Amino acid sequence: MKKRWVSILLCATMIITAGLTGCGGNTNSGKKEGTEGKVHLKWAMWDYSLIDYWEDLADEYMKTHPDIEIECVDFGSNDYSNVLATEMSGSGTEIDIVSIKDVVSYATLIEKNAIVPLDDYIAKDNVDLAKFNGVTDQVTVDGKLYELPFRNDVWWIFYNKDIFDEKGLEYPTNDMTWEEYDKLAREVTDTNFGSEVYGAHYHPWPSTVQLLGTLDGEHSILDKKYDFMKPYYEMVLKQEDDGVCMKYPDLITEGLHYSAAFSNGNIAMMNMGSWAVTTLLTKLSSGEFDPELCGNWAIASYPHAEGVEAGTTLGAITGLSVAQESDNKDEAWDFINWVSGEEGAKVLAKTGNFPAISNDAVRQEISSMEGFPQDEQSMEALNYKKMYLETPYGKDLSQINEVLGTYHSMIMNRECTVEEGITKMNEETAKIQ
Amino acid sequence: MKTHTLNEREKKRKRRNNLVAYSFIAPNFIGFAVFTLVPIVVAFYMAFCQWDGSNPAKFIGFDNFINLTKDTFFLNALLNTFLYCLGTVPITMIISLGLAVLLNQKIKGRGLIRAIACFPYVGSIIAVTTVWRMLFHPTKGPVNSILFDLFQMDSLPQWFSGRLIILSYILFSLWKSMGYYMVIYLAGLQGIPNELYEAAELDGAGRWQKFRYVTWPQLRSTTFFVVIILTIGCFKIYDTAVLLSGTNNMSTSSMVLVSFIYTKAFTNWNLGYASAAAICLFLIVLVVTLIQFKNESKFSND
Repeated sequence: MKKRWVSILLCATMIITAGLTGCGGNTNSGKKEGTEGKVHLKWAMWDYSLIDYWEDLADEYMKTHPDIEIECVDFGSNDYSNVLATEMSGSGTEIDIVSIKDVVSYATLIEKNAIVPLDDYIAKDNVDLAKFNGVTDQVTVDGKLYELPFRNDVWWIFYNKDIFDEKGLEYPTNDMTWEEYDKLAREVTDTNFGSEVYGAHYHPWPSTVQLLGTLDGEHSILDKKYDFMKPYYEMVLKQEDDGVCMKYPDLITEGLHYSAAFSNGNIAMMNMGSWAVTTLLTKLSSGEFDPELCGNWAIASYPHAEGVEAGTTLGAITGLSVAQESDNKDEAWDFINWVSGEEGAKVLAKTGNFPAISNDAVRQEISSMEGFPQDEQSMEALNYKKMYLETPYGKDLSQINEVLGTYHSMIMNRECTVEEGITKMNEETAKIQ
Repeated sequence: MKTHTLNEREKKRKRRNNLVAYSFIAPNFIGFAVFTLVPIVVAFYMAFCQWDGSNPAKFIGFDNFINLTKDTFFLNALLNTFLYCLGTVPITMIISLGLAVLLNQKIKGRGLIRAIACFPYVGSIIAVTTVWRMLFHPTKGPVNSILFDLFQMDSLPQWFSGRLIILSYILFSLWKSMGYYMVIYLAGLQGIPNELYEAAELDGAGRWQKFRYVTWPQLRSTTFFVVIILTIGCFKIYDTAVLLSGTNNMSTSSMVLVSFIYTKAFTNWNLGYASAAAICLFLIVLVVTLIQFKNESKFSND
């Protein structure tokens, strides 16, 4: 008899626990109230502890808006887009504000109906999109805009002045074609054992090679015809052969970070986005990077294709969106509008990041940072003439990206020739419906 | 009359026993059902749908499977996974059996050598692949520098790209898992009664004959277990592939089935298509396992 009671008790406990855990998710309904009746907003982001501005932005906003409480939710940076999309799938997310890392992720979230169009809000609050220098046009989908950019990074040539001084060569200028860049990289290269200098450095991302072809404004990675990439692949592979830059398989095997590569003081020039500035500045001031090796750096405008205006560059935006599932859309919008506006821009510029609205005041703020190159040419390079997004909006973006990434690694690993790789890219992207 | 009550009581006791048994299984089973069984069943349905995880799923029949047969990346992933299995399963089995036989003999420092053989299995895969990548670094790695010193080769092998990467996967998992399977074989060896060897010796059997006619048949059930677990593990290869190839942009020679499924599901959000690929993986593993079961039962009837 006793045994039976035990078993009945066991069963009952189990059923109750199962029931309880099953119902656990349903307790949050209606408007989420934070402490003392504040409106609680959840903000999805990456690398909270590594990037200064998340916390600064949230704190600064909460100072002037005492009725709002912002909670930062860190999804990590490595797999951010995948993790975010998983969180935003289906229903039940508690995220109100979504940080969008790239256009691929933006396209995915729109397809998933996870973020709302902001046009009504923009009209209501009279936001002048002209302040974003036309970049919002490149992410407008069927006449609707789903994000406001708050960060706008552009690509430059980072170069090490000491190396050029040592060789007695002129610094790279703000008006170079890629042929001239190639020539200069070859001149500064030193392949002698013990005093090696690499003229150029290409991080293993597809964007460091493939996108050079899109600077003419006629091509983009959405073309599904990629023959325009050929000269640039040939240039980089030839440079690898001649010891002008490090080899792709070596970089992949080592997992070498671009800033670590540059910090060794044996890379003369590197094409990279403006996001590298904060890393360089902080690591130089913390002593992790040796100022003797890479402290004397400067920037030059991105080289351009023949016949294209100097100062044409590639760019990437980071934006904020309002989640479809949010119960506090108006409050979330207000925060987004604030971050992408003047006040948010100030906070960003203070930490050495490039806000989406760029004006003289913002540029002043960044260039006055401790350690930022002060020469005239670097100052001039801060002003770009024309910027094309690395990835303009397209519905099939994630699939195209996958194909381009695959064949990029095959070409760079020399598993196939440039022609074969590009033919494959054309064939495979043509299959995407 | 008496038999009737006995039957009643018997039934009652049985029911009670069952209830107790179920209540002990339940916690595990409920978890399994909610987090594994239901998703698997749903995946079977999803394989026939087009679904992005948010919008309503659309039933599209066999389209996903038809598209898979035309998908270059899927076919490459399938081929690579097969090559990897064909390489890994027999080699790992033979080497761990050899190790077990050697270390089953009474030699000096046996315990130490056994422990060393198990080390790779204990190590964290992330740390271990990082070391492996350094060892096989195309220009600075010790492996290639030894090869260069020995053969003065002009073009040293690129261990992490092209066709060789599958060999890297195979060598890596062999090195990593042989210690584990050695332990299983050791247990099997210790279960073989000594009388059998004595009888064989009396019949004048040599070393090889003892192995061929005593050890090998006696280890059949162990071998069966090892081969099944190895095969299933091989088809599931993902972490090794991602970590050794070192990039998200897997080339057609390095992609494997699970990495394909992951990309399709969580990067492209084509969950139906990914499910269809997962079903293919499931069917392949099922067929391979069934064939092995069939062989096993054929042999045990001998």
